[in-house]
Amino acid sequence: MAESQASTGNSYLAGSNLERLLRRGHFAVTGELGPPQSADGTVIRQKAALLKGCCDAVNITDNQTAIVRMSSIGAGTIVVQEGLEPIIQMTCRDRNRLAIQADLLGAYALGMRNVLCLSGDHQSFGNHPTAKNVFDIDSIQLVHMVAGMRDKRIFECGEEFKGQEPRFFVGAAAAPFADPVAYRPYRLAKKIKAGANFIQTQLIYDIDAFGVFMEKVRTLGLHEQTYILAGVGPLKSPGMARYMKNNVPGLLVPDALIDRMVQAGAAWDKPQDELTKEDKRARSAAWKDEGIKICIELVQQIRQIEGVAGVHIMAIEWEEAVRPIADGAGLLPRPVIDEPVA
Amino acid sequence: MAHIQDLLTAIGLEPDRAQMFNMSAAMASAFVTVAQEMTERIARLGPNPLRGPLDTLTDSERGE
Amino acid sequence: MIVAEQKSLDEIKSLIGDAERVLVVGCGTCVTVCFAGGAREAAIVAASLRMATKLDGNGKDVTDVTVQRQCEWEYLDEIAEQIEGADLVLSLGCGIGVQAIAEHFPRKWVVPGLNTSFMGLPTEQGVWAERCAACGDCVLGLTGGICPIARCSKSLLNGPCGGSEGGHCEINPDIPCAWQLIYDRLSALGKLDLLMAIQPPKNWKTSRDGGPRKIVRDDLRLGAEEE
Repeated sequence: MAESQASTGNSYLAGSNLERLLRRGHFAVTGELGPPQSADGTVIRQKAALLKGCCDAVNITDNQTAIVRMSSIGAGTIVVQEGLEPIIQMTCRDRNRLAIQADLLGAYALGMRNVLCLSGDHQSFGNHPTAKNVFDIDSIQLVHMVAGMRDKRIFECGEEFKGQEPRFFVGAAAAPFADPVAYRPYRLAKKIKAGANFIQTQLIYDIDAFGVFMEKVRTLGLHEQTYILAGVGPLKSPGMARYMKNNVPGLLVPDALIDRMVQAGAAWDKPQDELTKEDKRARSAAWKDEGIKICIELVQQIRQIEGVAGVHIMAIEWEEAVRPIADGAGLLPRPVIDEPVA
Repeated sequence: MAHIQDLLTAIGLEPDRAQMFNMSAAMASAFVTVAQEMTERIARLGPNPLRGPLDTLTDSERGE
Repeated sequence: MIVAEQKSLDEIKSLIGDAERVLVVGCGTCVTVCFAGGAREAAIVAASLRMATKLDGNGKDVTDVTVQRQCEWEYLDEIAEQIEGADLVLSLGCGIGVQAIAEHFPRKWVVPGLNTSFMGLPTEQGVWAERCAACGDCVLGLTGGICPIARCSKSLLNGPCGGSEGGHCEINPDIPCAWQLIYDRLSALGKLDLLMAIQPPKNWKTSRDGGPRKIVRDDLRLGAEEE
């Protein structure tokens, strides 16, 4: 353990900003930053500027929805340069255990300290549906592997690190409402047993259903073994709300919320072709305002649920929405921890 | 039947050359109707392009 | 069984190219029961090729024969004379049959008439579904007899991803979620505790990832004692 940071007297697992805030009992806020479908780093810098100061760390997606984008580690490097903390998303779809470990070594050396372990959207949804997938390991095995690299200082094969081991704060996802629903708390338990230090959930719109899930989580004592960040996201329109309700597995959108979105645009309730461009713009703005308002309320309700350690605000391609949501929910300014990082 | 028609198309023949009609032995007028329809259709399509002088046909083409 | 599907007549014609005497070889085992390459299909393909090439203005001499199994030398020996007499062999066997003919008749050009699809079973008349991926290290004892390697779109070993909805896989509503099936079965049999254990990364060495596979049984080999 001589070379390990674990021996420096710092009791943090990775010492990331996210870990330090959670350990001190702060209600954490994470966001999401989707890299561009190009090699343009300025997009990342612009998005980072929007998120800086309102999130404790931001997820950098890894070819999300199986569409090729700038790599999460490449984009994460820029995010680090911009003074924002990245959470590197790592999927099992595109890399085998060799590539995943190699990339994580690089990510650590480049200053990244959080990893979110995912199985990854199937490639049939993306822009290369004829690609061969990998799925050498699954998300739970990935969690175990990344935790083992840190805690046991071993590669997946069992060989010990000779030099610096990568020390990541290890995250995993949970889909509370995906089928089979009864199994979901137990699968979460399995991810925690594998070594998940924090959990980000799928988007929550149905507070009652989430409450039922969290009750089971508390019964199992899971909230005491990991930090659970509830996923939230602003609705953009009634159409988006309906689409998510009907087409996205594991998403529950109560009709009451859809009605609120419809009501928000009621002033423009006439045939499409009678709406001017200005009308449409105004209606869209009204919908977005309502979406942000709903999101703020959801954050406030979620905060009351015992065992929830923070929120993960997903506003992909609408990063501007994160600040008003965090602000409206009373989560700003974000706490800053001044202490030496080992 | 759709499979047979697809196969005929792949071979290079008109798929309309084959058709199946379902009816009972008592449906004489229906039988006459479809027989006439089929005869007209085949006449319109013209001779089977595979039909040459009989001696150039293999046994299976002659249906034997 | 091995389940296969016929290639299109157009593709078969282009594979045949300018060969004049073509022997279509059917197989009497797996591809017969999945109606892709048995005696009946071999006769239909041969007749179709005779007609199609004749319409193209270059009628070919296409005959057909079907053996009990293309993947065993002794059955291929039975048709050695016909194979030698042909310019080209169109195998309606699975990929194994095509290769067996190529291997057994080194000087003969062999082309495939089928796409070998998967190992599976007929779930109803006219419907076949994949069941086994031949990973070489069977996990069915942990999953109640339902294979997550062959039947989960991501071959997950530790339970369903977030894309399981209403019993089907998010990639296609026609694909049942293997993990829902596993969960239901283990639940019904009172064995849900099996789903609580973390399954370690799989050893894919026994699968195709370990290179081409081979099984040697010394107890069965002829002349093994002398070695």
